[in-house]
Amino acid sequence: MVVVTEHLEQEVSRFLIKEAELLDNHAYEEWLSLLTPDVRYIVPVQVTQEQGVPSRPTSGMAHLDEDYTSLEMRVRRLKSARAWAENPPSRTRHFVTNVRVEPGDREGELKVRSNVLLWRSRGDEPHADLLSAERHDLLRRVEGQWKIAQRVVILDQAVVNTRSLSVIL
Amino acid sequence: MAANGERSELQTVLRELARGLEKGVALARIYNDPEIFEAEKERIFARTYGYLAHESEIPNPGDYVVRYIADDSFIVIRDAQGQIRVLFNACSHRGMPLCRAERGRATSFVCPYHGWTFNSAGELIGVPAEQEGYGGRLDRSAWGLKPAPRVEIYDGLIFACLDPDAPSLREYLGGMAWYLDLLTKRSAAGLEVIGAPHRWVIDTNWKLPAENFISDAYHTLMTHHTMVELGLAPPDPKFAMYGFHVQAGEGHGLGIIGPPPHISLPPYWGYPEEIVRSLQQNYPSAAHVEVARRTNFLHGTIFPNLSILNVMLLKDPGSPPTPMLTVRLWRPLSPEKTEVWSWFLVERDAPSWFKDLSYQTYVHTFGTSGVFEQDDAEVWCGITRAARGKMARRFWLNLQLGMHLRPDPTWPGPGTAYPLDYAEANERAFLRAWCRYMLEERPKASRRRSSRRRS
Repeated sequence: MVVVTEHLEQEVSRFLIKEAELLDNHAYEEWLSLLTPDVRYIVPVQVTQEQGVPSRPTSGMAHLDEDYTSLEMRVRRLKSARAWAENPPSRTRHFVTNVRVEPGDREGELKVRSNVLLWRSRGDEPHADLLSAERHDLLRRVEGQWKIAQRVVILDQAVVNTRSLSVIL
Repeated sequence: MAANGERSELQTVLRELARGLEKGVALARIYNDPEIFEAEKERIFARTYGYLAHESEIPNPGDYVVRYIADDSFIVIRDAQGQIRVLFNACSHRGMPLCRAERGRATSFVCPYHGWTFNSAGELIGVPAEQEGYGGRLDRSAWGLKPAPRVEIYDGLIFACLDPDAPSLREYLGGMAWYLDLLTKRSAAGLEVIGAPHRWVIDTNWKLPAENFISDAYHTLMTHHTMVELGLAPPDPKFAMYGFHVQAGEGHGLGIIGPPPHISLPPYWGYPEEIVRSLQQNYPSAAHVEVARRTNFLHGTIFPNLSILNVMLLKDPGSPPTPMLTVRLWRPLSPEKTEVWSWFLVERDAPSWFKDLSYQTYVHTFGTSGVFEQDDAEVWCGITRAARGKMARRFWLNLQLGMHLRPDPTWPGPGTAYPLDYAEANERAFLRAWCRYMLEERPKASRRRSSRRRS
């Protein structure tokens, strides 16, 4: 079991900040290299329910439900000049905070929760879209490097206020 | 006085548009005009059938979802007796919405304002301080929740209409019902919705997606070119051309597309053999089976704002072609904002491996993040923005695609079918129906009903 030290917490935070930088710089191929081949990336649909119903989404539907192959496909698509949703590219800024690190269930794995605020601006429209979420990551140490083995993004909106999720949270 | 002036200007624009449509042109301003939008809420959305939910979303007594027709919120609930009710989501006392969750299960609804309480059938069953406050004079039976004026269900699809004089849903659907059967009657067990709908907001006028789905196979070659590049669609950018473009009447329409020439695609959308056997037994006619046999892609719209899409795509380049079915509602929020509601459906008795594969195909290609859908949103936002200004008031758009085509007299289904899906006949028919409603000319079926009532 990994012992969570302050040093490890800093290392994880630096990893998430580096990841955000790659996304904001549209360095998607480099971003792919941060994922394990068995990665799962899920953004469940959030549903407003009465108090007492579990707060984690139980909607049975996801905005994204991806594995490595489909993420690689999405990245390949973004390189095309005809991926109109991102050509011209959105300007994004990932603000990643409140990083919480716990030992994972298996050797060399960490459960990491973080908050993310994503600013997305397109074209010369003055308004921007803001998405807020809590990310539940499973990080795995592979050959001395942290990799994302799983990410579940819990959105704070039931109705998504951006024209498409062509950006990665 | 100003209102009358505005009204007559609107009538002039509508008549001008109706004449333009005969020549295959449409005025861009209809896609972003506050006055037209307000009139649409009254003349279109208060008089046509609005889609609310599928029965499978509320399988048990007390299950409810909250849904909308334009601005109006309704509780769609299966009551204690199992009957589906559509109740205006506002307390009969002071109008506070009773239900502020999107879905759940309830035996009763309590108003947070004064505590009036209603059961799952909408009956008023509790009033705090009733004796002291109303002296025994409150007629509870007169103060239940207000039901939607008309509620009708077609193969599990729940619709409501705010106009009590509207024709029946079956009359309203006209020839479109025949084509809906292709989707709803593949299995005796029917369809089920998987999970909650995707809901998101696009800065578009609602008519642009409705028209895109009813008519526009042409855009796939450009807007969706990356799908061919990635291999998620057949290796021919014009793959959506090789089909039939069907006007189903009353503003409804669809496209039914088979394999491109020299490319072999599986029959019956590539559905697994269990479903193919099932549709052969369950479809209402041999013509349905024949049409389904040569179908890989089907897109359409039920007037005004419910679209259907049943297409065979790949979830990723390494996967087999897989059919998926989605219905989507384009809920109007403002002249330039539309809330999309997109549901994924599958045959209730389909094998579970297929349900999983079809779900993944849907999530990867359509819905909020779908690699097809993303690029559509970009285009609709752009057109809406271009239609905002003064230029759009005199800017005529070209809807002449396929005007040279002649209907195929051998087509086995109802309506008018052109033997090429690169056509804008359905958009023209959609806008003609839109003009009729906007000019307050009632559709034929509705007029008959009203005259019967008067006589």
